[in-house]
Amino acid sequence: MLRLFYACILGIVGAGVVHLAILFMLPGYSVHDAWTRISNVAGYYEPINLRDGDPAASLPTPENPFIEASACRFNLEDGMLHIRSEGNVPFWTLAIYDERGLNTFSVSDRVSNGPFLDVAVLTPLQMQRLQGEIPAELNQSLFLETSVIEGFVLVRSFVPDETWQPTVGAFLNGIRCEPLPNL
Amino acid sequence: MLYRAFLVLVFLVVAIGGGAASIWLVLEKAPLVGSLTSGPWVAFPVAGTPEADPYSRARHVRTGGLALGPSEGIILTASEDSSARTLRSNCTYTIEGIMPSARLWTIYATDAEGNLLPDRGQRRPALHSEMIVRDGDNRFTISVSPHPVPNNWLPVSGNGRLQIVLTLFETPVAAASQLSELVLPTITSVGCDA
Repeated sequence: MLRLFYACILGIVGAGVVHLAILFMLPGYSVHDAWTRISNVAGYYEPINLRDGDPAASLPTPENPFIEASACRFNLEDGMLHIRSEGNVPFWTLAIYDERGLNTFSVSDRVSNGPFLDVAVLTPLQMQRLQGEIPAELNQSLFLETSVIEGFVLVRSFVPDETWQPTVGAFLNGIRCEPLPNL
Repeated sequence: MLYRAFLVLVFLVVAIGGGAASIWLVLEKAPLVGSLTSGPWVAFPVAGTPEADPYSRARHVRTGGLALGPSEGIILTASEDSSARTLRSNCTYTIEGIMPSARLWTIYATDAEGNLLPDRGQRRPALHSEMIVRDGDNRFTISVSPHPVPNNWLPVSGNGRLQIVLTLFETPVAAASQLSELVLPTITSVGCDA
């Protein structure tokens, strides 16, 4: 009887270990997270409008009906990321998500100096290498340092009403998302 | 010998079954920790960011949402009125007050699962700050109702549970840790359809 009791106690301790193991392994093995769902339909540096996508692909669409968003996957081992678009949209934000789909860094359009989006995403090491000599193509860019190596950038834009749809659509679908391999 | 095998079986059932069941219960059934509340409004500012606790992170990964960052904004959800009664979509409510400072805000109605309610004819159950009619003091009144109402009407339909989702974009509130110090609009019940 005593041994059965010991087995149960040991079982409860084991349950705690299993509980923690599942908790910490779950993010790595999940197939529902935003990163995995976007990766199923879009390659690296291939911008994708999350609202326009095939419903069967079950992309993570913005829940807010006034928000549209485009995502672009990157890997900073290919070089820093340069992301650009133009258009007079009323409000946009940009966020960097890691490969677990967690929002690690975000900025709004207030940081930009004009009706365009021009952002360079780079690691602290790439930033160091760049010191002093900013290439001409990044003259206007906003530099965002991140420790995320692989992830995606999400650009959200506000659509006040249907008349804004073409403008916002052009802004989000016109996103150019490129690695700069030499930097 | 047989008894020993039985003990090992007991250990395995308790460890694996108990571990799996407890994590399922915590992730699926337990209320989220780390919430900030102010009246009927509830927010999870760190949910979906690396600062969240492991449980919120695991839950977020399982649902696969796209969380807003602190520079983007904050989402506040109400599923009760200011007298702590559950919101229902066959009832009429008044949302009244002033909003905290924000570049813009949106408000929309969803069901208990967070899906946007269906349109009422040409109208979506969603409003934003630039559509709102305000009085001289910058105060506003939004009527959440199944029936048409003049000025700011948030049309709802059905008769299930209702959630009102308020999103403040580019607001200093998102960086705050104390939501209770904020003045947010109140939600008052006006009456229900039979």
